[in-house]
Amino acid sequence: MGFAKAGQRPSEPDTSVEDAPLDLPALIRGLRDTEPSVRRRCAKELAAYPESVHALAASLDIERVQNVREMVMTSLALIGSQEAVAVLLPCLRSDDAFLRNEAIEVLKQLPEALAPMMETLLKDQDPDVRIFAVNVLESLRHPSVVQWLMNVIENDPHVNVVATALDLLSEVGDEKCIEALLRAQERFSNEPYLQFAVRTALDRIEQSKEST
Amino acid sequence: MAVTEQKTITDDDFQKFREFFYRKTGIHFDDSKRYFVDKRLVERMQATQSDSFRSYFVTLRFQTTGEELQQLINVMTVNETYFFREEYHFACMISSMLPEIASRKKPGDTIRIWSIPSSSGEEPYSIAIYLQEYWNDLEKFNVELMASDIDTTILEQAQRGIFSERSVGNIPAHITNKYFRKDKNGMYHLDADTRSAVEFSRVNLSDSADTRKFRKCDLIFCRNLLIYFDDVSRRIAAEAFFDALNPGGFICLGHSESMSRISGLFKVRKFPEAIVYQKP
Amino acid sequence: MKRVLIIDDAATVRMYHRGILKQAGYETDEAVNGMEALEKAFDGQFDLYLVDVNMPKMDGYSFLRKLREAVEIRQAPAVMISTEAEEHDETEAYLSGANLYMIKPVRPEQLVQCARLLLGERGR
Repeated sequence: MGFAKAGQRPSEPDTSVEDAPLDLPALIRGLRDTEPSVRRRCAKELAAYPESVHALAASLDIERVQNVREMVMTSLALIGSQEAVAVLLPCLRSDDAFLRNEAIEVLKQLPEALAPMMETLLKDQDPDVRIFAVNVLESLRHPSVVQWLMNVIENDPHVNVVATALDLLSEVGDEKCIEALLRAQERFSNEPYLQFAVRTALDRIEQSKEST
Repeated sequence: MAVTEQKTITDDDFQKFREFFYRKTGIHFDDSKRYFVDKRLVERMQATQSDSFRSYFVTLRFQTTGEELQQLINVMTVNETYFFREEYHFACMISSMLPEIASRKKPGDTIRIWSIPSSSGEEPYSIAIYLQEYWNDLEKFNVELMASDIDTTILEQAQRGIFSERSVGNIPAHITNKYFRKDKNGMYHLDADTRSAVEFSRVNLSDSADTRKFRKCDLIFCRNLLIYFDDVSRRIAAEAFFDALNPGGFICLGHSESMSRISGLFKVRKFPEAIVYQKP
Repeated sequence: MKRVLIIDDAATVRMYHRGILKQAGYETDEAVNGMEALEKAFDGQFDLYLVDVNMPKMDGYSFLRKLREAVEIRQAPAVMISTEAEEHDETEAYLSGANLYMIKPVRPEQLVQCARLLLGERGR
């Protein structure tokens, strides 16, 4: 015993039956298999089929095994199409914290697909959706990010949406944002956290002005 | 061509950079690293012709290709490899992980250990040496050591098993003498038995056709690779590792890395020597 | 000095809570999500956890459940802080192992009172 010598190891047992390639209908059926490892494998392979986004999304509604859910999300991220984004957006309203947060993580990886929807998302009725939209801006490489953030802090009625935007503005803001920041400070004069967040953002901007 | 006017990084710039970098990579630079960080930031500012930290930061943050961020990660991370680097993982292997793995196996069973990236071989060979020196149960099991890298040139180099003084510098002398022969050019040749204990292969961790061949692993070392990956690639890697491991199998990441940034698939296990991750 | 672990993915929120708690005489450390918090908790010897709900990788509820199950981690009271204001969220927080549930943004006095209460420092 001890070390198995390189090049002299017995080849792996024949798993050709388990590994036989499955076609799209079989993979979709496999998402409902009783074995979690089968469901996980099918979820993984469906990443190659953009047309499977609806089937993948549907499985999220009923799947309870964590590692299968993760794989479904990874596949949706890899597909990354407008349809994938469309099926992930409802997860933002889910009661399931894992789904909500995982959807945010994945959507953050799909900025191009999201950018056209960003303005609509930032005006959604649901403050949680608006908070999510602001969270996505954190990873979004788009010329309008700062402008969108400014709009939020000047106009959004909900304290936590503004708070989330302020956190990001601290990092990416410049002196064009000062007016908007002062307005937020006035609008939420009774909220100590918001006052703190505005001051933090203003300090950051002042200091980076000095270093140019 | 804009010449960088700003030659120094202010405290505030450093703070901003630090938070951003931590969020992106999980690597935290404390204040003692100022000199290290500032020097490299100024280098990158010059390379990108940014006339201020602020304009450099905007490039970093908003550049669509993410290329500058990748460059920055490359210069900010120290990627040298040498024998017994981050030795506490090997100690953890001997004292904590292998005993647990072995308790689930019968004598004669296979224990499979995978090192990726192998780079020039220091890591997988360190594992092989450690097992010979410190693991009393080595002879009881059939131990398969596997090592992979995406770069075929470095794989060839690893298979040759010839190392510089610098590479073996961290090994206690009596162990160096036992496993290496020094040639007249001052290079160290690893003995044939240890070399033959490791099977090398070319693997792209993002390619499922490559990674599907790796199954039933008990222990994976993937140190200081994932920091170079973007978020989606890290997810794919985490999934590949999950599928590669036996239930109860372990994975070790580099000291500045954390599965917490990557995946909820693994359990955190704290041993006296190290924090590692385990497949449930 | 009592140690508090502040767990939230937003830097500004962590800074805010840190400032309040330091002023009140506590020592603090921070984590950006539930998994990092678990890692810190192993060594950390914390007396109190301040836990945000919505974090990437591992949310607050999952963190609390794992914390409460982990025999190797020293148990300590936990305040869950959330933007959610619905009843089922509060119930889930308690079921996951929280001692208190608060809605953000929190006022400094509220936070300090809760910390003192949970740390058994009454009448101050």
